[in-house]
Amino acid sequence: MRLRTVFVSVFILLSLWTALYAQRRFGGQRPWWYDEDDDMPIPPDAKEKTEYAFARLKYPSYGRPPDSIWAMRGNWTIDWPKADRHFAAGVRRLTRIHTRSMEQFVDLDSDEIYNWPWIYAVESGHWQLTDKQAAKLRDYLLRGGFLMTDDFHGTFEWEIMMQSMRKVFPDRAVVDLDNRDAIFHVLYNLDSRFQVPGVAAISQGVTYEYDGIEPKWRGIYDDRGRIMVAICHNMDLGDAWEWADNPNYPEKYATLAYRVGINYILYAMTH
Amino acid sequence: MFEFLFKYPLAAFSRGQLLFAGRWPWWLLLLLLVGAALALAWPMLRKRSKTAPRVKPVLIWLLQTAMVAMLLVLLWQPALSVATLRPQQNVVSIVVDDSKSMGLREGGETRMDQLHRTLNQSVISDLQKKFQVRLYRIGARTERVESVDKLAASSPSTRLGDGLKEVVSEAASLPIGAVVLLSDGADNSGGIDLDTTNQIRRYRIPVHTVGFGREKPDHDIELADVQIAQRVLANSRLSAQVTFRQFGYANRRARVTLKDGEKVLASRDVVLKADGVEQSEAVTFNSGNAGVRTLQTTVEPMDGEENRANNTLTRLVTVDGSRPKILYIEGEPKWEYKFIRRAIEQDQGLQLVSMVRTTQNKFYRQGIEKQDELEQGFPATVDELFSFQGVVIGGVEANYFTPTQQELLRQFVDRRGGGVLWLGGRAGLSDGGWGASAVADLLPTVLPNRKNTFQRDPANLELTPAGRDSLICRFDEDPARNVDRWKKLPYLANFEDPGTPKPGAVVLAEFSPGGRGKFPLLVTENYGRGRTGIFATSGSWRWQMSLPVEDQTHEMFWQQLLRWLVTGTTGPVVSSLNKSVFADEQNVPLRVEVRDKNYIPTSDAQVEAHIMSPDGTSDTVPLHADAATVGLYTASWGAVKPGSYVVETVARRGENELGRDAVTFRREDGVAENFGIAQNKELLEKLSQQTGGRYWRPGELGKLANDISYSEAGISIRETRDLWDAPIFFLAALLLRSGEWLLRRKWGVV
Repeated sequence: MRLRTVFVSVFILLSLWTALYAQRRFGGQRPWWYDEDDDMPIPPDAKEKTEYAFARLKYPSYGRPPDSIWAMRGNWTIDWPKADRHFAAGVRRLTRIHTRSMEQFVDLDSDEIYNWPWIYAVESGHWQLTDKQAAKLRDYLLRGGFLMTDDFHGTFEWEIMMQSMRKVFPDRAVVDLDNRDAIFHVLYNLDSRFQVPGVAAISQGVTYEYDGIEPKWRGIYDDRGRIMVAICHNMDLGDAWEWADNPNYPEKYATLAYRVGINYILYAMTH
Repeated sequence: MFEFLFKYPLAAFSRGQLLFAGRWPWWLLLLLLVGAALALAWPMLRKRSKTAPRVKPVLIWLLQTAMVAMLLVLLWQPALSVATLRPQQNVVSIVVDDSKSMGLREGGETRMDQLHRTLNQSVISDLQKKFQVRLYRIGARTERVESVDKLAASSPSTRLGDGLKEVVSEAASLPIGAVVLLSDGADNSGGIDLDTTNQIRRYRIPVHTVGFGREKPDHDIELADVQIAQRVLANSRLSAQVTFRQFGYANRRARVTLKDGEKVLASRDVVLKADGVEQSEAVTFNSGNAGVRTLQTTVEPMDGEENRANNTLTRLVTVDGSRPKILYIEGEPKWEYKFIRRAIEQDQGLQLVSMVRTTQNKFYRQGIEKQDELEQGFPATVDELFSFQGVVIGGVEANYFTPTQQELLRQFVDRRGGGVLWLGGRAGLSDGGWGASAVADLLPTVLPNRKNTFQRDPANLELTPAGRDSLICRFDEDPARNVDRWKKLPYLANFEDPGTPKPGAVVLAEFSPGGRGKFPLLVTENYGRGRTGIFATSGSWRWQMSLPVEDQTHEMFWQQLLRWLVTGTTGPVVSSLNKSVFADEQNVPLRVEVRDKNYIPTSDAQVEAHIMSPDGTSDTVPLHADAATVGLYTASWGAVKPGSYVVETVARRGENELGRDAVTFRREDGVAENFGIAQNKELLEKLSQQTGGRYWRPGELGKLANDISYSEAGISIRETRDLWDAPIFFLAALLLRSGEWLLRRKWGVV
């Protein structure tokens, strides 16, 4: 009886603490990057019909079945909506691409994805595609779609990403992208690239996470030598877009992240 | 009977003039006629009673007046003025068709047998009593023969026009009174042209035609023509328009097959139309790799067909291995750009150079051969722009192009013969200010005079009747299935109102954005030497993203559209022939158009054709500038041996070569006479009518010698022959008087 009382008390206290901890301005001593803002106002032209929109891929998280309570906000939402809208604003300002200010969610369970030939998958080191979803992604890519994956680090997350990617393309190799590839020159010449860290790494004074010390610019080609999947491993371009407006986040990383992202879109729209 | 009643044959009346030989004036005759009519009417008018019926006296008056009128006319001495040939002083040329078609057997004897029989039945001897008779045979050549027995229906072709010209030209030194042409009318040199007819008419020589052979066969299918483009790009979709007619197989199914050697390229089942009705069917196929294709089109023979040799026609197609260059300029990055590039990358026959404006100040170039190509943007010189065969203008505002570039664009189409295609887009067509631009007349539509015509809304599309026949829109060989495929295409992602098609423009497809009516989607037209088009969307990429990976609809559409854009775009030197197969015809007319590097026609070039014969020998033929057309050079060459020939033409100005071109043709012997075997009565009748002769059936020739005398050609004399003593007048007088007597007897005194 006493033991049960202790357990219940501890549970109640823990619940209260986590609830309070989740409040935005609690404490005031949190790191600056805790201010991830999910409540960005919806832009007034959010419904504009445009050629391009930042299409964020919804996927089931690794180890969390899609219908479980833990899947309510999966890894696919990381950095949303600030990264999406910041980046979209950058694309609008820096290119002639007719871009929507508001992002678009797409999944692999409906055919809506075929209307968005460029998609972005964040934290693909945490995805777990079903066979059916993998088949649809393969079909989408072979028809001419383009996938950019980002924000996964180290050997462990790489292996998780590859578990699903092998379902998508069991017979296609993931290769390191050559510096001479058009994807690094379509608008910006990106011969000198460096690791773009996430905010967590920045706060620890490093640019990597886990054992992902070296940034890997990788991809999967189609039969005609065109990149279908651009894999940004051991880097976090999404964070760089998200925190580009924050003075604590180094400008050089944000600049590179924007340039890489824009090059990837322009490559997808020209190849 | 006619000659008995009127004293002279009908031919004398049809070629002569009626006149009065009496010296009294004709107005006196008229006056007396009116006076007589009144005088005869006077007693009737005087005795008129209110009760008596009027019909009887009027009828009697009419008979009396007719009688008096006839007597008065006879007093004025009616006569016939007619020219007649002087006996034994004139020549009658008998021209006999000695071609193989005259050897066709009908009803137990050949046409030539029938001709022999007819001529030997005193026709020639009758003619010889009045005229000097000369006998000619006509076939591929025309020559004089001494006897009918020399004719054996052996000539491989018939050139009636040339033959008649040759015979008639002897009139300059011989008194030719008439020409008698005995033929089935089957001419395979293109018929009798106006020039020949005019030459005959100048000599006033009547041509009497005698038709042999049945006017239509009982059971036959005959190919009339096969039309295929003589030059195409490699691996292009091609259409052969096969025209034929049949007798005796109406509503039966027949198979049209197209072969390259033994390889069947395409075949199609068709339902045969009514007897004698010309039927045209399209058969589409792929041109294959570069080279010369000898294509045989056959309507497969039916059971019991009388002549199977006229079921096949041969055509030559030169498949061009060059890769025309197309420049695609796009004003902003868009999915359409990517997917057009992808579609054309799969086409080995096209080369796409593209430039897309990625930022305000940057273009991204693809498909360029040199690093500095298009570095300064859209071409601004003739050399640069004219190196392309086609231009695609995406969403680029008209004012991006300088006035010089716009003028270049016009010259590119008009003078160079290039193709320009405009696409819909945010800055395309009227939203891009093209309607008010200096090149608005190049566009195949009158653009709307407003902005915001581009909409990012879904739109369904469908083919127009013209689109169903167009190779641009052909996804399936079967026309019905093709229409169905278009209906099932995914909707367009966006569209732009292209306005109203101009006269002469062809709308191939339309789009309908739910409940807002139909708008032209794909419009084409010819402009100057080139062609222009509008594809009023930049949203066809959804066909690629929404259809299965293996589906090739999007790729096929863009490959076919851009091939259409450049297929007619030629180099500065273009050689051509009026046909690709010369069947039993040796004379090959060469025609070369020469332009300088700015594509301006030039007449000061030295042009030579090097002709490679089937046996490997070659000949060089100089071509001469045509006096009437600047830039046109012509020559004529005789291809004696059957087989395939290659003609390579080179044009130079001084030391500089302006360009070169190659064309192929084929010579065949013993083919032409298998076609058009039915008697061409229409041709023979027309010829005789136009020259003052008459069309005769073989059985009517007994009257030929007499009839032929009435001619103004040769040595003739004009005679005035009395008509007053023609039996018809005596009979008429008898009828009028006896008629009056009978009526008076029946009615009593009227």
